[in-house]
Amino acid sequence: MGDFFDPRLVIVYFPGLLSRLHITLLLVFIATLIGITFGTMIAFIRIYKIPLVNQIAAVYISFMRGTPILVQMFIIYYGLPRILVQVGLDINRWDKMFFVIMTYGLNMAAFMAEIIRAAILSVPIGQTEAAYSVGMTRKQAFSRIVAPQALLAAMPSLGINMVGLLQDSSIAFSLGVIDVMGKAKVIGASSYHTLEAYTGAAIIFLALCILLEKGCSIVERRLHGVIIGDGR
Amino acid sequence: MSTNFDLNFMFIAMKESIKYTPVTLLLAFVPFGAGIVLGTFIALARLYNVKVLGRLLQIYVVVIKGIPVVLQILMAYYVVIQAFDGVAEKLHWALRSKDIHLIYIALLALLFFGTASISEAMRGALTSVDKGQYEAAYSVGMTRSMTIRRIILPQALPVAVPALCSSLIGLVKGSSLVFMISVTDLMNAALIPANTNYKYLEAYVAAAIVYWVINIIIEKLFYILEKRFSVYRGERAL
Repeated sequence: MGDFFDPRLVIVYFPGLLSRLHITLLLVFIATLIGITFGTMIAFIRIYKIPLVNQIAAVYISFMRGTPILVQMFIIYYGLPRILVQVGLDINRWDKMFFVIMTYGLNMAAFMAEIIRAAILSVPIGQTEAAYSVGMTRKQAFSRIVAPQALLAAMPSLGINMVGLLQDSSIAFSLGVIDVMGKAKVIGASSYHTLEAYTGAAIIFLALCILLEKGCSIVERRLHGVIIGDGR
Repeated sequence: MSTNFDLNFMFIAMKESIKYTPVTLLLAFVPFGAGIVLGTFIALARLYNVKVLGRLLQIYVVVIKGIPVVLQILMAYYVVIQAFDGVAEKLHWALRSKDIHLIYIALLALLFFGTASISEAMRGALTSVDKGQYEAAYSVGMTRSMTIRRIILPQALPVAVPALCSSLIGLVKGSSLVFMISVTDLMNAALIPANTNYKYLEAYVAAAIVYWVINIIIEKLFYILEKRFSVYRGERAL
């Protein structure tokens, strides 16, 4: 290990790192979808205060937000097969990617639930009353009046959480998933130029992060135009 | 691997992890304390658009916020391990990289991460203070530093409390990543007894419970703090 940092190697390693980019993106994308789906369900449970389920949901959210995602990942990796084996389903040999996506999806769901709940509650009650007064049903009032406004209110937090999820996805390699970060570790272990490989990974994450932030703000602006318009 | 959950072993692991809880708290609170001071300065420098420095600090925040914590910890580790000896030799220091306790590397990496997130929290709070407050302070003859100390910061701090709380919780959770550079913190301590009997699930559940309790306590403390502050402002907490 004569020279300590060779910038050229960062460029040499770059294509290798990019070849695993789809794993990182897949992880973020599917986990967000799971998170929004489950999160919406949990949010409604919390808003309508369905007895028992509401309390369970509150504990679930608190746990997911109060413990490191690393610990959650290993609990799901070791724990889920043990629970499912009781009902006769053996998932011990399933791909590690499955456990990682489950973890990130369930984690995201807890954060999304709070965001969606806050967004729905942020719409003034007068909006619902106005909708009822013009003869809308409960369902119509929600889907036509409350939901679009709530969506707009939730967008900034949704973007922040997706960026957070992207960053958290870098921990998946500790379970053996070869994403961008995992590839960087593999390159580092085989060439002893760990720092160069990690620098390449850092550049990729930084670029993704900035792109995601920009993308979210564009979507937000578009949505604002579609939902609220210019008042005409 | 048995299918039963070994509750007794979970308590053994939990005892170990509680023993090492001070390490986790150290890893979270030291960067948090230093981060509040540094983060406030960064926020002020960016708020006042200080030439060059303000721009540089903006780049710093964007870069640090864009790179995952785990990468920062690992990169800090490799930089110190690979570069330190060469520098030390040139400067004729007696200290070598193998003598540096790994916890200092972890602290350094978490400090970078914490400072960036705290500076964002402070900046948000500072911009929430109405412009009229500055103008009023200047109009009664206060200097810029007096304005910041006596008028702006006392109003900005209460606004920053919730964001600071999530920064601290982020640091507690982020500190679990020091296991990558084999610092024995709360989580690693729970895993040590599991290495002999492979009861990792119990160990991780034990660690999770300890983390959970720490974060619930932090949340409660900050909630009390927030209430205190809003009494001071003469407003009701939402």
